[in-house]
Order: sequence, then structure tokens, then C-alpha cells
Amino acid sequence: MDTGSFNPSRRQLLKMIGQVAGAAAMYQAMTSLGFAQDSGYTGQVALQGPRQGRRVLILGAGVAGMAAAYEMRRAGYEVKILEYQNRHGGRCLTLRGGDRYTEMGGHEIACNFEGDGYFNPGPWRLPVHHRAVFDYCRRLGVPLHPFIMHNEKAYLHSSRAFGGQPQRVGQVATDVRGHVSELLAKSLDQGGLDETVSTEDREKLLEGLREWGVLDHNLRYGTNTDLGGVRGWEVPPGGGLMPDQKASNPLELSPLLQSGLWDQLFNFNGYSYSSPMFEPAGGMDAIADAFAREVSDTIQFNARVTRIAQGDTSVTVTYEDRDRDGMMREETADWCICTIPLSVLAQLDVDCSEPMRRAIAAVPYASAFKVALEFKRRFWEQDDWIMGGISYTDLPLVQIAYPNYGFMSDGPAVLQAAYDTSTAGKNFTYSWSTMTPKERVAAALALGRQIHPQYDAEFMNGTSWVWHRVDWSLGCYGQWTEQLRNVHYKTLCEIDNRLVLAGEHCSHLPAWLEGALLSALDAIRQLDQRENT
Amino acid sequence: MHRDALCLILAGTLLASAATAQDTPSPAQPPASVGDLEALLSRFSSDPDHLTQTDGAALYQTTCQACHMEDGTGATGAGAYPPLNSDNTKLTSRHFIAGVILTGYQGMPRFGGMMSDEQVAALTTYVRSHFGNDYPDEITAEEVARLRPPEQED
Repeated sequence: MDTGSFNPSRRQLLKMIGQVAGAAAMYQAMTSLGFAQDSGYTGQVALQGPRQGRRVLILGAGVAGMAAAYEMRRAGYEVKILEYQNRHGGRCLTLRGGDRYTEMGGHEIACNFEGDGYFNPGPWRLPVHHRAVFDYCRRLGVPLHPFIMHNEKAYLHSSRAFGGQPQRVGQVATDVRGHVSELLAKSLDQGGLDETVSTEDREKLLEGLREWGVLDHNLRYGTNTDLGGVRGWEVPPGGGLMPDQKASNPLELSPLLQSGLWDQLFNFNGYSYSSPMFEPAGGMDAIADAFAREVSDTIQFNARVTRIAQGDTSVTVTYEDRDRDGMMREETADWCICTIPLSVLAQLDVDCSEPMRRAIAAVPYASAFKVALEFKRRFWEQDDWIMGGISYTDLPLVQIAYPNYGFMSDGPAVLQAAYDTSTAGKNFTYSWSTMTPKERVAAALALGRQIHPQYDAEFMNGTSWVWHRVDWSLGCYGQWTEQLRNVHYKTLCEIDNRLVLAGEHCSHLPAWLEGALLSALDAIRQLDQRENT
Repeated sequence: MHRDALCLILAGTLLASAATAQDTPSPAQPPASVGDLEALLSRFSSDPDHLTQTDGAALYQTTCQACHMEDGTGATGAGAYPPLNSDNTKLTSRHFIAGVILTGYQGMPRFGGMMSDEQVAALTTYVRSHFGNDYPDEITAEEVARLRPPEQED
């Protein structure tokens, strides 16, 4: 027996998957084949602290900036944060009823939620291996509850398949498993894999495929009594004299393959999305607020940085004090930790090495948007048995995320009714970003009612967020490519004289809070080391 | 625009918001009329991997407009988006504009992978002949092809 006859390399395998299932599937497969990394968090940072009084100026009161301030002060450094906005938290924010925001272009985003529902425009779910985030939540007392990423009752939807009827995640998964098991079992049974599978393994494999794919004695996947207990029922088991139970009917192989729903299943494959995920109770800004409780006395709000000047032993930052009619002021410190997004930093006057200047200007910022809609009742729970989780669709709204709190409560509730980023290479997010806040809500309603027809009767109000219309980030997150990283990443993350950068853009976890925290921890480690050598 | 108008007012983040929400009557925003909706939804490309619009105006309205705005005036704040009107002297070079669309510029994402040479040419020409611009020299798809970085396929 020659087990080496078909032993594809990882690259060959990815190419095959790409050809069979498309680029989205290949991307997901890359993630599951080990390109994704665990967090680099190794526990609470241990800084030596300064040998004499040292002042550190931190630019940006987002999570990276506040974490750096928190740890530096604990280690004995004097810290001050300059923040452009009149709030802390940066991209880690939550909108609730009554909130208002004027985006670039002058349109006002109004959030008129009447119930206790909330909307996280930025980060909204925490992978369990993002250990720095979890450790800070523990240390700073942020209550967490489960975030349902993978709900087998949620929908997968293609506007071009199955008459536009959404299918349940779990039923699509069972059908893919069943059909693939049948094909593999038949191939084994007909000796098609004799060169790669030994006789003993063949029997074990067949036995497993029968069970795993719910195949009948002829190795066929189709409607049978056993399938009801796995895939669900057309007529569910009842009590008393209720009708006899009847198993549900699987989707046929060819329409399933052509529908694109298999691709949508890969949304759940990524290591970062494996269950269980978590979220802070009451909104993602609980994490920002927890840091602010520790460092709010160090933050000066409404300070718009215009220049970062470096000398041999100090750094001077010029800023416009928006609390004092735009008066220009200066702050001098021994060190500067700058967490300003590169998209904005590239437009400022910064003294740094030429390679760092090129690195700052090299990274494009990804497009991302979200729309949230409030409805009079939880029809997705009451009518469709969808308790939390996410439905995916080929419509430009891409996904609908259901609240993972307040289950079965009466009264209004909020759906994250549309969300995408340009990471997957899709262009929908750009089109959403060109719309006015009202247009986004109208589009989300018009598209979403194709999945949930209850939209029309139950709609109350909606709000949205477009990261490219936020003047302090000019986009959502640093959109690195492998090529850009090879040239610029190390330069970007190294101390440049008295200046060090931090934020998700200085991490291998772009857009994630964990990336912001790890970059802040590494920046202060470098700085503390430099201080003590 | 006055910068104060841009400042973030997240009342609920800093203040108890329940009272505010109660006081605000629910404005049941009626969906836009059907005709408007169709025009709006047609802004989405029918292929999520490649932009399917072919004329410059439609391409502008579904991508560039997000940052450079409907009238090409750009926007300002902590960071800014440059205007694409006659204030922007970089528009004099058709090669520069096409190159920026293909490969991005500073924080601006690249669009080369989502547009064909013809689409980049149409968009370049649109920008250079609207918003008060009137540059007579149109870029050709062949010229765009020569600007395209080697690793980029359309």
C-alpha cells in the first residue's frame, strides 16, 4: 500500500479548496490550517519602572492608550493622555438610545432606541484565546457573558437558491456532512481509495461515516427515521394524540453545492470564532469604561495633536486645545506613546526616521460599516426560534446578528442588521459607506425583509456607523498585507528615539482589542527596557 | 464646516441615557419610496468581488463618495479627506489619479483588484471632468494597464 500516492502539500490543498469552493472557502481554510495564532499574551506585564522621575505622554485614550497609561503609572512613570474626542474608548464604543454623532460629511447619526438594546459599532465579540482582554476584564472587574457565534437555528440564505427561502445553519451542516459522507463511503465501498486506506482503516472509516453522516444501510444519505433525531423534524414529536413525528427532508446535493450555503458555513470555521465567544454585559464600552475608571484623571480631552517633535532626550507634542477656542499648546515629556491611527498620523507633522515615516504612510485603512435596527418585539425568537447568534446571506447586508441577552423578554430589541468589512475582499462595505444614515437604514430594511418578512410590521427605528466617515480613524483598522508587513511592520513597532507607536495597527491581530492591548504591552516593555539600559 | 459640528456627542456613554430616550418620541422613519430604494440598492455591485458598474459616475457613487463626498469636497476633522475639485492640483496628472485608485494612497484603500483597466480609466476621467474640473486629456485603459503593479490582476 502506498499512502504517499496522494499526500497534498498545504499549498496544493489550499489551491484545490480554492478551485472547488471559491476564495472565501480558501481564506477560511487558511485560517483553520494554522495561519491563525493564539494570543502572544504571557501574563501581567512586569516593568522595572524609571530610576528617576520620568514623564510619558500618551496620544489617544483608546484601549491601547489607556492600558499603556494604567501599566506605566503602576510602574512609577508619570503619565498624561491627550485625546482628540470628548470621550474615552476610541473605537471600543457602544451606542444607546439618545446618543448622537455627526459624521464626516455633516450627517447626524441618531440612535433613538427606546428599549435597553445597544449597538457596538466597533469590537463586539471576544475570542476566548484573546487572553490579554480576558485578563484585564478579570483584573478590572468587567462582567462577561457568552456571545453566541454559531447558532444552528440561525439562517444561511442565498437570494438565488431554494426560492430565496433561508435554511437553518444546522440543517445545511448536517446535509453537507451527510452528502460528503455518502460520496466518501461509496468510494471506499467500491475500492476507490484502496491505495490510500488500509483494509482495517477502511472498515473503521465506513463505520464512522455511517454514524457521522447518518447514512442508511445502503450508505445513502436521505430521509430516514434516524435523520429526524439529528437534522430535525418536519412534524416534531408531540404529546398525547398529536400527529406522528416525521423526519425533515435533506437538501439535495447539487442544489446545495450550487447555492453557496456551504461557503457561508465557513464563517464559523475560523479559529477566532470558535465557541464559546464572549462579550461584556451591557455593551463593549464596559471594557473602555473599566480602563477609564483607573486612568481618567490622566486624560485631557478635546486635544487635537498637530505635531510630534523629538529631541535627544525629550519629546514635545503640539496640540490644539478645543476647550480653549483652539489655542495651540505644548506638552513635553521624556517619552511619547502614540496610538493615533496611522490614517490620521500620516497627515500629522511627526519627527521620526524616514523608514518609520514610510511605514506610517504605507498602511491602508479597511472599510467597515454596521446598521442596527430596533423592533417592537423579538420575532426572531418568538416566530423563528433563533435565540442569539448570526445569520449569513449573499445579500449586501451580509449578516444579521441577534442579541445574546434578554432572551424571550417582551418589548423592543435591537438587531445588528447589517455588517461587513473589506477583509474578505467584498465590495459591499464601500457602497454602504457612500450612503447617508437614512439611506443605510432604508437599505437594511429593504434587504433584511427578504430574510425576516416581519421587518415591515415590527420596525421602530434604526441607526448605523460607517468607519470611513469617522474623522478620528478615517477607516476601521490597518489593512495589512503580507507584503506590507515584510517591509514595514518591524520598523513601525520599534522605538524611534523617544517615540513608540501602539494600537491594533501595531499587531498581528488587526481590528481586535487583543491586538491593541498586546501592542501597548510590547511598546511599554520596549520603553521600560530602554529607560533601564 | 466648523469643527465643533464634528465633535462626538455620545451622551449615553457618559450620562445616564434612559431619560433622554424616554423623552425622544419614536420617529418611525418611513422607508424611502420604491423608486428611491431601487436606485439606492442598485448602488451595490452584483458581484461582491469585482465592481460591476462601468461608467465613471456610478463607480464614484459606490466607492469614492464615502470619503470624498457626493460633491467631491472631501471632509475635515482630526484627519481629512482631500477635495477632488479645482483646489486639488494633483488632479492635473491623469497618471497620478489612476495610480492612486489602483494602489491606494496613505490610509486610502487600493481598488485595483476590484476594477478593470477600463473601469479605472472611466473613474479617473469622471473625477477629472467633474466637480469643476475640466482636464481634456483622458487616460486610456492601456495606460492604466501599464500603471498596474505587477502583482495585481483585475
